[in-house]
Amino acid sequence: MKVLVVDDEPQIRRALRTSLEAHGYEVATVGTGEEGVVASADQQPDLVLLDLGLPDMDGTEVIRRVRGFSDVPVIILSVREAQSDKVAALDAGADDYVTKPFAMEELLARARAALRRAGPDEPLQPTLRYGGLEIDLARRLVTLDGEQLHVTPTEYSLLEALVSNPGKLLTHQWLLRRVWGQGYGTETTYLRTYIRALRKKLGDDASSPALIVTEPGVGYRWVGESA
Amino acid sequence: MVVEGPPGRLARLTLRAIGIGFLATLAGTVLALLTSQLQGAGVAIFILSVTIAAVSGGLWAGVVAALLASIALPIVESPQRVFGFDQLRDLIAAVVFLAIAVVVGLVVGNAADERDRASRREREARLLAFLSAKLLSGDVPDRVLDEFVQVLLEPLGLASCQVSVTLDGQEIEAKAVRPGVPRGGPTEVIPVVVSNIPLGTLIAERPEGRRPFTRDERLLLEAATRQAAVALDRARLDARARLAQLDAETNQLRAAMFSSVTHDLRTPLASIKAGVTSLLDASAIHDAVQQRELLTTILEETDRLNRLVGNILDLAKIRAGALIPKRVPTAVDEVAEAVVARMRPLLADFAVELQLAPDLPEVPADPVQLDQVLTNLLENAARHSPSGGTIRIHVGETRDAVRVRVSDEGPGIKPEEREKVFEAFYRGRESPESAGSGLGLAIARAIVTAHGGRIRIEETTGGGTAMVVDIPLEETVL
Repeated sequence: MKVLVVDDEPQIRRALRTSLEAHGYEVATVGTGEEGVVASADQQPDLVLLDLGLPDMDGTEVIRRVRGFSDVPVIILSVREAQSDKVAALDAGADDYVTKPFAMEELLARARAALRRAGPDEPLQPTLRYGGLEIDLARRLVTLDGEQLHVTPTEYSLLEALVSNPGKLLTHQWLLRRVWGQGYGTETTYLRTYIRALRKKLGDDASSPALIVTEPGVGYRWVGESA
Repeated sequence: MVVEGPPGRLARLTLRAIGIGFLATLAGTVLALLTSQLQGAGVAIFILSVTIAAVSGGLWAGVVAALLASIALPIVESPQRVFGFDQLRDLIAAVVFLAIAVVVGLVVGNAADERDRASRREREARLLAFLSAKLLSGDVPDRVLDEFVQVLLEPLGLASCQVSVTLDGQEIEAKAVRPGVPRGGPTEVIPVVVSNIPLGTLIAERPEGRRPFTRDERLLLEAATRQAAVALDRARLDARARLAQLDAETNQLRAAMFSSVTHDLRTPLASIKAGVTSLLDASAIHDAVQQRELLTTILEETDRLNRLVGNILDLAKIRAGALIPKRVPTAVDEVAEAVVARMRPLLADFAVELQLAPDLPEVPADPVQLDQVLTNLLENAARHSPSGGTIRIHVGETRDAVRVRVSDEGPGIKPEEREKVFEAFYRGRESPESAGSGLGLAIARAIVTAHGGRIRIEETTGGGTAMVVDIPLEETVL
């Protein structure tokens, strides 16, 4: 697994290289956006860790250029924590967003999730299991502790969108378009209502979530541990 | 103020008085002729005409009417309709009539003049009162002056009015011009002076070809200008006092900030550096447990440093006026859930109760800033709660806001301290040194205020503290 680190701070590059190599990743590092785009094309990394505040161009621009030729997972590492920065990067095509300073174990967990999603398509599990929750993708059935749940078609679509992108931070806009259709994007109230209903049916507590995590103002993330 | 000025004044007044006197007498004559068969009606009619002339035209119109009537009366009274006195009796009657008519004219006319003067004075008083209210409203001086010159235009019949003054080296100018009026008429220049210090001048200009200012008008202008001068002086003193106060506050804040930041930044850095150098020290032998302890300390201190830096940056943003919420429809209950979820590790020692009212409306708010407010309130509650205590978060709705209430079972905050805790770098007197940076609540208040909301402290039944935040349902203009 090859990871490309694009960050203009040599200390961060060194820290990431050491930690990632210790976990068995092959690491390449560059310090500018231009080099980042070129390296993404030339070296074909499996994962890109990208800083937003680069000296030559904004990280969001790097994502756009990389997305022109590659679907490689991109995780943003940034000191910016404004909701608008996160949404802009995610909507430009980033897979995830980690705010600096971060705990290495968290970054590694996000990296693993991103690599797993991008990995060679495993034969799709017909049934997903998260503790007592079972989702039968073929029959579109949801059961909790052996009991079948009544979920509306919209709730099911929302659930499907979440579980098919495990660990990924899905923006409001992305979810609305995926579940309601292309014409949607700003109707966050719908989304909230359905997320709330879904959480209730799945028995997930938003203030101590085991399945769906809220990123206020940005979106939702499926964190269910498959078992 | 329709007092006309000399020299046109006299001529016009005389003309008007004669006109009214003449018209009144004419009407009287016609009426008297029509009723000439009624003996003695003529006298009554002419007295009436004199009275009417005096009421409507003032003193001189009354006198003119009296003179004319004393000529007309004998004509009307004589059977031949010619002027003359057949008998001495008639002459005496005529003279008596003239005397009575003149007295009536004088009395009534004087009263009418007095009434005019009174109403003029009342108008002037009202204008001056209005001006002084405007001027002393404490508004920005240039805005007040703009209104001041505008207000003077109409009642004084000006084509333009201009004030230019220098306040503390700053030049302020206000000018009002009546549109469509040719300028270049009589001009009055009045100095703006306060306690013998000249501040500038007021220039009032009439339209081209108009009469000059009367003495009354000049006095009025001077009175108005004096008021403006006093108001300007007050504004100047206020501004100075404010600056001095701001200066003192800033200095005090800066001193507090330096000592606080120095301490708060250096302390975690010291722990981190000590831990790291110890781990790097080749001569020291740490077992796995010691290593882990050192590393845990480093991690905790890093987090503390990170929170502090975040707070200082926020405070800098607030001070620079850059704390502008990026408002989107935000579900406060959802933010509260997310904050509690994220802070679970920090709140592990406490029982956390989260109560959300059903069907809460969304509010126009910046979700990240709101997250920050709730985070700071929870951190604060955790800091002051006894281990094992309950921290309650309730999100509900009032008539015009979504209300968040975070309550703890700590020692509470004394009423006299309840406002102070929202000041930057303020720490409760009994707080241990290791408590927060003293910034969390100041930042929370700044954010809530920027949202047009309110944050305050209430008592809980158990003697703890409840922080109550109202975020308005409607976006309010600050």
